[in-house]
Amino acid sequence: MSTPLLSIQNLHAKVGDREVLRGIDLAVGAGEVHAIMGPNGSGKSSLSHVLAGKPGYTVTSGSVGYQGADLLALAPEERSHAGLFLGFQYPVEIPGVNNAYLLRAALNAARRKRGEAEVDAFDFLSLVKERMRLMKMDEAFLSRGLNEGFSGGEKKRNEILQMLVLQPKLAILDESDSGLDIDALKVVAAGINSLRSPERAILLVTHYQRLLDHVQPDRVHVLARGRIVKSGGPELARELEQRGYDWLLEEAA
Amino acid sequence: MNAVARPVPGSMSNAAYEQRLRDAVMDAAPLLNAKLLPINVRSGALNKALAAGLPQLRDDLWRYADLKFLGSAALAPLPASAPEQLATAVSPLLPQRLAGYTRLVFADGRLLPSLSDPCPALDATSAPLVPERTRHERFGWLNDAFATDVARLRVEGTLRLEVIFLATPGTARQAVYPRLELAVAANAELVLVERHLGTTGAQGIINAATQLYAGAGSRVRHLRWQALADDAQFLDTMQLALDRDAQYQLTLLQLGARSARTSMRASLYGAGAAFTLQGAVVAGGKRTLDHSLLVDHLAPHTSSSQVFRAIARDATRIACRSRVEVNRTARGSTSSQSLKGLLAHAGAEIDLRPQLEILTDEVRASHGATTGALDENMRFYLLSRGLDADTARALLEWAFLEDAVRGLELPELRAAAEQALAGVLGGHIAQQVLA
Repeated sequence: MSTPLLSIQNLHAKVGDREVLRGIDLAVGAGEVHAIMGPNGSGKSSLSHVLAGKPGYTVTSGSVGYQGADLLALAPEERSHAGLFLGFQYPVEIPGVNNAYLLRAALNAARRKRGEAEVDAFDFLSLVKERMRLMKMDEAFLSRGLNEGFSGGEKKRNEILQMLVLQPKLAILDESDSGLDIDALKVVAAGINSLRSPERAILLVTHYQRLLDHVQPDRVHVLARGRIVKSGGPELARELEQRGYDWLLEEAA
Repeated sequence: MNAVARPVPGSMSNAAYEQRLRDAVMDAAPLLNAKLLPINVRSGALNKALAAGLPQLRDDLWRYADLKFLGSAALAPLPASAPEQLATAVSPLLPQRLAGYTRLVFADGRLLPSLSDPCPALDATSAPLVPERTRHERFGWLNDAFATDVARLRVEGTLRLEVIFLATPGTARQAVYPRLELAVAANAELVLVERHLGTTGAQGIINAATQLYAGAGSRVRHLRWQALADDAQFLDTMQLALDRDAQYQLTLLQLGARSARTSMRASLYGAGAAFTLQGAVVAGGKRTLDHSLLVDHLAPHTSSSQVFRAIARDATRIACRSRVEVNRTARGSTSSQSLKGLLAHAGAEIDLRPQLEILTDEVRASHGATTGALDENMRFYLLSRGLDADTARALLEWAFLEDAVRGLELPELRAAAEQALAGVLGGHIAQQVLA
């Protein structure tokens, strides 16, 4: 493997005085899908947030390389421009900002950064509508406020829709499967699979194995108390499904 | 709330104010047209203004108004410039025309016929509309006394009207008195866009008075847009009277002036009258924009609804006192007030005071006020989608203000209001928010 797309070394981070990441090492190559699993409070969401640059987290040591650059030196919007995408576990509702507007603004922000012209309104609409069909979303969603009054499942589908419009290099999906019924899970999984390509990587943060039945990961990592305590292939996820997390926590203790 | 007494709103003594008013009468006398407003009306108003004096310390109606400029500004109206000259000066400042609207342009308190459309509803010689005023509307008396011209209209049938009041910076210390009198006949329908633009410069004042009577069953949609330059001093009195089943919808965009004070009184005296106010106020720098809004429910089954959204930046202070009184005669009325403020900087101040007094039964009323900063989770969400910090802020502020314009049903009004707000919010939202 050449230089990985994402390379995390000995990453420590705090929220206030609480240490939430306590030495993460992880390398994700282009074309790969990695799953980060672990019990509640293990640091899964913290890792996603730190990678996306959410305020409130302090990195106390370690480094994160992304496409050969220092990811931690970039502002959140610069990370997005560089092709990083965070699918939120709890997407915010912003009444008054409509979905279509946000999608277009996001797409244009990245294009401006690359020195490209803003996307034509018709091209934009046809692109979005095509991706919405894949996500089995009604076009009426476009003119609604961002996630305003959306069900949990609709919000998650909307996150994947944004991802498909922005076409990131590295997608970090924070529990994109939680709260979905089986049909919605299949739709979300299909959306994620459609992004897979040799030049992109996906980090699936999940509590349960069931998403991994539909999106086959190359690697599975188990996070506990802010550290990766075990890594393996897809079979590790199935083992966790059967045995739970306790045996690993005991091993790690 | 800060209980410490604030300085007297105007830094001038009442004796000095009285002298200033008497001097103004001498200066103004040749300019005052008795056909517009009879001399007895003018002198009666002046006497009331003299008796009322300036707002005093601790006067709750005026505690947040910044009236210090009254200490140096002249009160006499600006003498008329040659209309052709004025028309040449102001025509580049005129906003784009609204298609299908009759336009009236007033500059420095006088109608400019060359820039205005013929308007059969306009009749300066018909009986003046001079409402009863109280000390709350005290600067309206000065307008009664000193107005040099008036947009006096009697609206029958349907009218779409755009009235633009422009002020130009004169060299003298003078005042401008924009005046709008509207009598909307029973069952008539009026769409009104009223704009206040320009400035007199730091030494002058703009003292506007709008009075509107909405006849039984009439419908009025009023977009009122104050975008004066940020060195202007704006005093503003609005009095609205709603007859039976009249519907009046006011959208207030308060975006300009260094100091602005709007005193509004809406009297719902006909059964079933309905009043809605949507206010959006955005200001930065070191400015004071004060609002005192009174709604009197005087008849049964009247309704009022108020949505007020304010964004204060830098060292700006925005205040809104919104008082609703449901009188004994107003059984079965409904009222709601939602006032919200967004503080963009630590030095900014927003004072929101919803007040509700109910003197009868079977009333449904709600009121609430909150002030805070932008939601950090929302901000991060937008940044994570690649929006720059300025655009993310502007977009969230836009979303915050949206409550105040979403009730605008007419697309041309909505587009105009949205454009105005997107323009003051900045970021990359202006060109796209309307797409």
